[in-house]
Amino acid sequence: MKKLLAVIFVLVYSVSVMLTGCSTSGSSGETSAASGSDQGSAAKSGEDKFVVGFIPMTLNNEYFITMVNGAKQKAAELGVELNVQAGDQHASAADQLTIVENMITSGVDAICIVPSSSEGLAVALKKCKDANIPVINLDTKLDESVLKEAGVTVPFYGTNNYEGAKSAGEYVKANFKAGTKTAILTGIAGQQNAADRRDGFIKGAGDAINVVAEQSANWEVDQGYAATQNILTANPDIELVYAGNDGMAIGAVRAIKEAKKESQVKVIGFDGTSEALNMIESGEMYASVAQFPAEMGILGVENALKLIKGEKVEESTDTGAKLILPENVKEHQEYCKKYAE
Amino acid sequence: MNNTVNKLKKIDLKSITLYIGAIVILLAFTIICKANGKDFLTSSNIQNIISQSSVMAVVAIGASLVILTGGIDLSVGSIVGFVGIFGGIMIKSGVPLFAVIVICCVVCALIGLATGYFVSFGKVPAFIVTLGTMQIIRGLTKVLTSGKPVSGFPEALSKLSSFEIFGIPIIIIYVFIFYVLIVFTLSKTKFGRRIYSIGGNPNAAKLSGVKVNKIEMLTYMLAGLFSAFGGLMLLSRLSYADPNAGSGYEMDAIAAVVIGGIALSGGKGKVANTLVGALILGMLKCGLQILNVPTYYQTIIIGVVIIAAVYMDKAKERKAE
Repeated sequence: MKKLLAVIFVLVYSVSVMLTGCSTSGSSGETSAASGSDQGSAAKSGEDKFVVGFIPMTLNNEYFITMVNGAKQKAAELGVELNVQAGDQHASAADQLTIVENMITSGVDAICIVPSSSEGLAVALKKCKDANIPVINLDTKLDESVLKEAGVTVPFYGTNNYEGAKSAGEYVKANFKAGTKTAILTGIAGQQNAADRRDGFIKGAGDAINVVAEQSANWEVDQGYAATQNILTANPDIELVYAGNDGMAIGAVRAIKEAKKESQVKVIGFDGTSEALNMIESGEMYASVAQFPAEMGILGVENALKLIKGEKVEESTDTGAKLILPENVKEHQEYCKKYAE
Repeated sequence: MNNTVNKLKKIDLKSITLYIGAIVILLAFTIICKANGKDFLTSSNIQNIISQSSVMAVVAIGASLVILTGGIDLSVGSIVGFVGIFGGIMIKSGVPLFAVIVICCVVCALIGLATGYFVSFGKVPAFIVTLGTMQIIRGLTKVLTSGKPVSGFPEALSKLSSFEIFGIPIIIIYVFIFYVLIVFTLSKTKFGRRIYSIGGNPNAAKLSGVKVNKIEMLTYMLAGLFSAFGGLMLLSRLSYADPNAGSGYEMDAIAAVVIGGIALSGGKGKVANTLVGALILGMLKCGLQILNVPTYYQTIIIGVVIIAAVYMDKAKERKAE
């Protein structure tokens, strides 16, 4: 046993010495951080390929998967290597910092990131700045105070949740009678986008709605389902449910169906996920506010490459939002198909 | 004499298996990264890995102590989140950093003490008490700021973790100091030996005059305290407090503990090896990310490693049977 251990130890030790030896010589010989063209991978990449790190908030829902797919397609078209990483916890600032650190180590040339919250990335941004890696902010806008703290300017490509919600509200105002009894399902309390999606809708709808119930269902289908059941028990005469995302809206649709009130209660969701689009098509859901996550991914990769090459980029682009109704659902489904894989 | 030598050998063999496992993972990543044109085994990346695992490693000290007594603590993650928000609010309102650290530690130790009371004197199963504490503390954290994060901290806060001594970030040094302290306490003090004795055989410990309840309660207090340290380290590292921070840490901590070879039934294992367990988890996360392994697969691989580690750890027991 002792002998065996000794042999293993010597083996391990010699291999590690060998490897540290070549790792130091390898890195000193490299000029560009991401050239990746030392002995091992010389065969793989004939020319230098730029690497863009892409960090969605999570990879646990369709919205971010679509965004990543848009980015992947653009990256393939531009001949850029895309390195996608997401935390396993929903919206964790700690996970995102770790990912940024590891991407810097792995030698990416630029990073596109959807921050877990608008305030939480100051340290990560500073590290990117020190490593001279340009950053692009997608979807959820970073606070000015964070950018100032990190001392960086970061272009932003995404939508304004408040405006998208407001357009849904305005549609309700134009198409529903005044004082429509409405229930609102909101996302996680304290999150900026949850507040924006609620406030924008209420602002846009004005006196067309009479909010009789409001519950947080934490963005989840099951919680949206339970909350709507309870709301229906308390307010059997509601006519409209507005949910801050499609997940909660889908939950609401199930609860309403079970209560056999499909003809009485209409449901408006947010995000335009494929499940919601199918439900709009079949008439189970009334409408959903669609954003264009794929466009954000595309703009992110496109402009990351420009930044790497030292070109100027657009400081901020609103990728827009669109209310999906039965009349335009087919067209939007066609568009989404492009980014389904 | 011969007997003790044999005993020593047996203990060391277990640890050696773990260390070899850690080195194999380190070398495997180094080789695979090298083949992909990336550097894994560099001093800056090793520092990254330890910094990234630091919060987990410190939280896992508390978890180790509790598990050594045969208990379990599910509340450690929520305490990490609580400390961020609670400490963050105090820092924002101008309380000096040093006072914030002391207050957070005292408050969390008291939370742990209360939890421990219900487990040891109250005889409520640890799983249930700490499940309750987890919910209470997470809820309380959200009440403090209505679920909003806290940010915009002075530079001094982030210096508490990023300040370098001989080129080593101080957050790494904290981890080693905490481990040295706890290893010393466990091996050289009465309190330490009693933790092992009540985990191994609580009835025998009781009969030999050990105050089982008191010792058990104190381990939960220490778990609260180390979670406070971990929470403060995370707050400093991120310079940002998120009310959801630390969720899932209780499971990661348990993973680090069992990979390190401490038996969930208590009484057996080395706390120092928990650090190795935490570093193995950290190495996996870092290496897989550098290699750009898709996120979903990373979770699968980490799950496999947890089971494989404990399976190998049990090899001797299987043989004995």
